[in-house]
Amino acid sequence: MNSNFIVDTYLMTKRSTIAIFRNPFIFIPNIIISLFFLVVYQAGLSGISNIPAFAGASYLAFILPVSIVSGAIGGSGGAGQSLVQDLENGYFSRLLLTPTSRVAIVLGPILAGMIQLFIQTVLILLVGIWMGLEIAAGFGGAIVVILLAAGFGLAFAGYSVAFALKTKDAQASQAGTFVFFPLVFLSTTFVPYELIEADWLKFVSKINPTTYIFDGMRSVLINGWEAEPLLNAALVIVLICSITITFASLSAKKAVSRD
Amino acid sequence: MSDHAIVVQNLVKTFKGDVKAIKDISFEVREGEFFAFLGPNGAGKSTTIQVLTTLLNPTSGSAVVSGFNVQKDPFSIRRKIGVALQETGIDPSLTGRELLHLQARLFGFSKSDAKKRAQELLELINLTDDADRKVGKYSGGMRRRLDLSLCLVHRPKILFLDEPTTGLDPYNRNAIWDEIRTLNRQFGATIFLTTQYLEEADQLADRISIINKGEIVASGTSQQLKKTVGMDVIELTFHQREDAEKAKDVLEPWMKDFRLTNEELTLYVDNGAIFLPEMVRKLDGEGIPPVSLNLAPPTLDDVFLRVTGDHLEEKGNRQEGVVSK
Repeated sequence: MNSNFIVDTYLMTKRSTIAIFRNPFIFIPNIIISLFFLVVYQAGLSGISNIPAFAGASYLAFILPVSIVSGAIGGSGGAGQSLVQDLENGYFSRLLLTPTSRVAIVLGPILAGMIQLFIQTVLILLVGIWMGLEIAAGFGGAIVVILLAAGFGLAFAGYSVAFALKTKDAQASQAGTFVFFPLVFLSTTFVPYELIEADWLKFVSKINPTTYIFDGMRSVLINGWEAEPLLNAALVIVLICSITITFASLSAKKAVSRD
Repeated sequence: MSDHAIVVQNLVKTFKGDVKAIKDISFEVREGEFFAFLGPNGAGKSTTIQVLTTLLNPTSGSAVVSGFNVQKDPFSIRRKIGVALQETGIDPSLTGRELLHLQARLFGFSKSDAKKRAQELLELINLTDDADRKVGKYSGGMRRRLDLSLCLVHRPKILFLDEPTTGLDPYNRNAIWDEIRTLNRQFGATIFLTTQYLEEADQLADRISIINKGEIVASGTSQQLKKTVGMDVIELTFHQREDAEKAKDVLEPWMKDFRLTNEELTLYVDNGAIFLPEMVRKLDGEGIPPVSLNLAPPTLDDVFLRVTGDHLEEKGNRQEGVVSK
């Protein structure tokens, strides 16, 4: 049973990965938007890094996490979309009629989303380096950035899967991904916390989990190795993953149940 | 082990909101038998298939497929059965070959065996030319054939086919019929087929159960069922309803039963051929000659009509290309 589970998960992941990369309309726009963020914000806003609050940090290193996180959300959000498609075109039932592990059927699209996310993150990092990025914590710092992106992406994949299996509707689960905007923009997106003007935005950025991911990534990109921001980011990831993955498992259980 | 592929006892399936999709049905299908569930849309055919194929749990009663209880041992059943649901289940972004290969791997085939099996099936369903195109680009008929081949990958001994020809043109329908017949006769597969087409049940099945509103209302071979009607059927059409009503009174002495729908009078008569000339002379004498007249042995539709009071197939809603006898 155990080796079956591994083979099933491998097969389901492979199939979803093929589906993602064969459909450029899923993959390309997402990466373009992320790179667009990177290039446009860097071009338009990099002057503000002369403000003392930036403490001499390069704006490129500051804005890069925004590009990576938005790509991560887009990539992992595809997991839910692809499950809704399976439900709509009947392939989900076809899979339920095989002896395939039920967990593997839901896990496949999530892992495929992770693979997409990994490739995107590496690509964005490479573009950043090409634009002149220097990572303070070196190669290890790049790995940390990728891990944080993956952790945050996993949490978002859980959310998208839960939403998709609950609504079983393409439009509804598409609408569910709009949470992207508050997550990415109600945070320390463009300037450090001290420079945020409105009090409400300061408050929201404090409770927005994305802020801690930005902080963690920025700390390795700009300052080098610091314990606190990384610990906070890890804690936030564990917290939101446990919430969304639980939620996803419950909806998945319902979707494969026979009552 | 018993020689029954499927044993269903007092099966009930109730959905939320107290919708009774299946109300207490029982039946058995022998190994190697070609069995058909005939009934209109919403009769409970698909629900029955979903229970028997482990997609839905029964509300009460029991179903045993290939010796395993559907509730207790669904995984064992899934290895033994092939299922083609009413809606095809295919991922449009993969090619036909990839889907077959993946299906085989999910049933535990090794890579090389899966490759071989995919090729065999592509040849069987005549899809080798299009095997490496994305399924999203296939025609409806090709999708159906691929879907059917997907359920054959693991060489199941029992096949569940839920309205396999609905929406197909005559060419593709005949191709599927031939395919299913071969599976049954040559490979000895037990077949459980649902259909709303009389012709399909009549042509293919060894035994038929007629299901209506969640209940089995008649069972038997096509011949046995037709015999329950017991009489010939004479269909008469008149200029107007009044004529048809008058004709009904005039012909009363001959008929066992009748149905009157607008200008159409349907009579159930013993030995219709013998009395027909006399009946026509009588109608002529009364000045109400029929516009058209048709004498036929009973069809499954007559059986359905007798047991449910309704036609199974509306006129003009018959399966395309089927010539009714």
